[in-house]
Amino acid sequence: MSILGVRLDEPGRSVLLTGNEAVARGALEAGIGYASSYPGSPSAEVLGVLAELAGERGFYAEWSVNEKVALEGAAAASFAGLRAICVMKADGLNVALDTLTALSESGTKAGLVVVVSDDPGGHSSVKEEDSRYLGKVAHLVILEPADPQEARDMTVAAFGLSEQLRAPVMLRCVTRVCHAGGNVVLGALPPGPAGRPHFGRQERYITFVAFHGLQEQRLAQAKAMGENWPFNAYLGPPEPEILVITAGPGFLYAREAVEVLGLGDRVGILKLGMSWPLPEKFLLRHLKSASKVLFVEEVEPFHEENVGYLVACHLEEVLPLALYGKKSRHVAGPQGPGLGEIDVDAVVRALAALAGVPHETRSSDYGREARELVKKMPERELGFCAGCPHRASFWALKTAIALDGREAVVLGDIGCYTLGLTRSGYFLMQTVHAMGSGVGIADGLGKLGRFGFDQPVIALVGDSTFYHAAVPALINARYNPSRFLLVVMDNRTTAMTGHQPHPGLGVTALGEKVPALSVEEVAGALGIPVTVHDPYDVRGTVEVAYRLLRQDGVRILVLRRECALVAARREGKPRVYVDPERCVGDACGCHRFCSRVFGCPASIWDAARGRAKVDEAVCNGCGVCATLCPQGAIVVEGVG
Amino acid sequence: MNLSGGPDDLVRKVLQPEQCAGCGLCLDLCPYLQVVEEKVVMIHPCGLKEGDCYRVCPRTPTDWEDMDRSVFGAARADHVLGHHREILFARATAPEIAAAGQYGGVVSALIAFALGRGEVRGAVLTAGAPGEMPRPALAENPEEALACAGSKYSAAPSLRALHEAARRGLEPVAVVGRPCQVLAVRKLETRPGLEAHHLAGRRVALVIGLFCFWALDPAFYAFLRGKAGDARILKVDFSPDRLLVHTDGGLLEAPVDEVRAFVRPACRECFDPTSEFADLAVGSTEYDEAWNTLVVRSARGEALVRAAREAGVIEVKPYPPERLPVLRTAVLNKKLRTLEAQAARGESSHLQLSEGYRRALTGRDQP
Repeated sequence: MSILGVRLDEPGRSVLLTGNEAVARGALEAGIGYASSYPGSPSAEVLGVLAELAGERGFYAEWSVNEKVALEGAAAASFAGLRAICVMKADGLNVALDTLTALSESGTKAGLVVVVSDDPGGHSSVKEEDSRYLGKVAHLVILEPADPQEARDMTVAAFGLSEQLRAPVMLRCVTRVCHAGGNVVLGALPPGPAGRPHFGRQERYITFVAFHGLQEQRLAQAKAMGENWPFNAYLGPPEPEILVITAGPGFLYAREAVEVLGLGDRVGILKLGMSWPLPEKFLLRHLKSASKVLFVEEVEPFHEENVGYLVACHLEEVLPLALYGKKSRHVAGPQGPGLGEIDVDAVVRALAALAGVPHETRSSDYGREARELVKKMPERELGFCAGCPHRASFWALKTAIALDGREAVVLGDIGCYTLGLTRSGYFLMQTVHAMGSGVGIADGLGKLGRFGFDQPVIALVGDSTFYHAAVPALINARYNPSRFLLVVMDNRTTAMTGHQPHPGLGVTALGEKVPALSVEEVAGALGIPVTVHDPYDVRGTVEVAYRLLRQDGVRILVLRRECALVAARREGKPRVYVDPERCVGDACGCHRFCSRVFGCPASIWDAARGRAKVDEAVCNGCGVCATLCPQGAIVVEGVG
Repeated sequence: MNLSGGPDDLVRKVLQPEQCAGCGLCLDLCPYLQVVEEKVVMIHPCGLKEGDCYRVCPRTPTDWEDMDRSVFGAARADHVLGHHREILFARATAPEIAAAGQYGGVVSALIAFALGRGEVRGAVLTAGAPGEMPRPALAENPEEALACAGSKYSAAPSLRALHEAARRGLEPVAVVGRPCQVLAVRKLETRPGLEAHHLAGRRVALVIGLFCFWALDPAFYAFLRGKAGDARILKVDFSPDRLLVHTDGGLLEAPVDEVRAFVRPACRECFDPTSEFADLAVGSTEYDEAWNTLVVRSARGEALVRAAREAGVIEVKPYPPERLPVLRTAVLNKKLRTLEAQAARGESSHLQLSEGYRRALTGRDQP
């Protein structure tokens, strides 16, 4: 799986691509002129790949400051006649939604495809939103690929669909599509974006309530197209007893489950490539022949509800018919129906129950065997990487808060530093919502002094998040006077999603050098005082944070130190080790501070020698532990 | 008498009831005890049942008779002034040292002398300009020591510098400190269970204790700044009833009652204003500004004073006999006030005294 496969100009060749790469490939084949995104897992790699190929394929790509701006840029390209793709995670769709709902009403011109990645189970997200509901709110056509091949195919098709309907089309991918690898048969690459962009003087893209009817007409048109659309497919006997209605990877689970249970002659699978609007005639045709329907989808019962309504409207035609899925609790992952991911086992269990076929998905010893196996696995809790500057920042903040003694409130949001709510961040973080929301909440808390609220307030944001969503809240705090300390945990990258650049770094997605916009410049323009400090200097950071905590008004502390992973890859790393002569082991008052409390995964306890130890394979060489060891027993060699 | 305890007990008996004297010795024993503006805070529960922080703290329950035996090898004869071989008036002979010192400059002269002779390689001191919050200092030569001359009026955690000395490998060291700091160093030297610690107390070759009846909260410095305005503060001093602030704009005065609000709560329950466990204790004379009171307590202290006199670094004269009862009464009254205040603290009290000790001090049985 690599960019080599994405750029390969050999139509008909089958290459191994991830779903994300396949979407990028589809965009290339569709001849996009414009690609924009704000990095978000699980789809962060789509723009990463596109940006690398933009130069040679002659299109434009950018990491935008946030998803709303990204979508507006992509819409502009569409209005001017260039095909455009805009990529975001589910959380980003919320940010872009205002524009998206308007675009579907105003209409677009050249194909505009909005790729939204959902993360069932929240592998790298704080929520497991099902974006299909918002797509429906926005009156959009929603396509759902099941595997990398479909991701490529549907991306190409989505551009055509968008142009036929003159509206954006949403491609909804889940983690198991984005990150899965599969064979993808390539199509032809066009020479480049077609034509010179032009925005005609007579053209209008106006959002106006009178155009609501137009939106409904477009959906009706899409519905008609969906009746014979190849991605809406039926597999199975002509008169199945049980009909599985599914989309996305659920289709693969269902196919495997039918095979495992040997139910090929009793069960049919209706796969919806277009999850909205529903191809009603196609559905009704198959609903009439079945007596039981099982819905297999992630995360929420979207089809279940919408097909359920269709069934209710056509009762005489389809009865007798019973509906099963999440609401009947037949389809449930380990956490229960409608929670987290589902898998083949979940579908096997559901189908076996409906078909009355005995089946044991797991041996009766499975639970015991699993527990035995787990005991052999090394414990690895969720936490900051070795050398992460955030760990030093959180220790310093914890110290400053304790020294201040007034029970400071710590408000956060989403990013690597969200781990500040775990042991890794000493459980400091008390709220987590959306990008930048800690700043807005701090702004609100900072105004409660008039009711006697006297706790200090700290908001935490990452550097990328600062640009993405913190600025309006700061302007509000300036306008409607508030009091809080904003700590920008500036690790000089968008670390959580794989080290994408942002406005503070002076480099674009295309690798162009541009003037960097620093946090200090933004804050300066807002008239908010800024202090910058290196979190690796823990003692100094404590002093600065303590001093700022005791000040009034809005103030900003930038804790700036490059992500340890980036630094170690570029510069190599100093050697850090414990001098076993100086470490006094359990005789020390620290009670194993480095390995037990500070929590760096590179700090371990050498039980045989009764001394602390640095796992040099894991260590990134930051040396912060050496500054905190009360015995001065940790040695750092080769720091530049 | 149960004298063992851990960090939780330290928080409960010392930090929470504001009985911490701010000596600074517990800082740097672990990463969890931190200080800000002379306030010591436990930032994280380390989970240990017993701890060196508790063992060395001068405000955890302490067996005072046992301290006498551990430090001087015998019980005390004088229950008010502690062990003493001689009580003298003394002053530095070098006029620049005498001028830099608060009174007679004896502490500065002796420390510079000990450093200069190589008797000690470092000195744990307190630095800071008049009118500013003082800070721990570690002097490695006479010049650095003299730069620390002059009284400081708040509780700098200067024993932190003892840890710094250990890190720098300086051995042996001298310590100049308030009475609470002297007691902390002596506990470090003599309490069992500290053998494994990097601050083996044996490395302290000389302890010069100061007379100290109270230290002030750092808020005092803001108060001073308010009094002085834009003028530069040259020296801060106290007469028995006045605060005296010498500035480049002249002398400013205030009744001492205005300052009393700033007295550190722990100091209101101090039992030892004259550094009873030091080798030498030095204070003002409350009588003649050009001289210091010098109490020679140990053989080590006696030897240093003898050598310093022979070298002409300090000069001494007899303590005026009529002044001794004044000193004795002031110290006894302080001890009696503290005994009364500490009575309510029961097993948390840092005064773990036998009936005999108590009777010898108060002249009566416990009520």
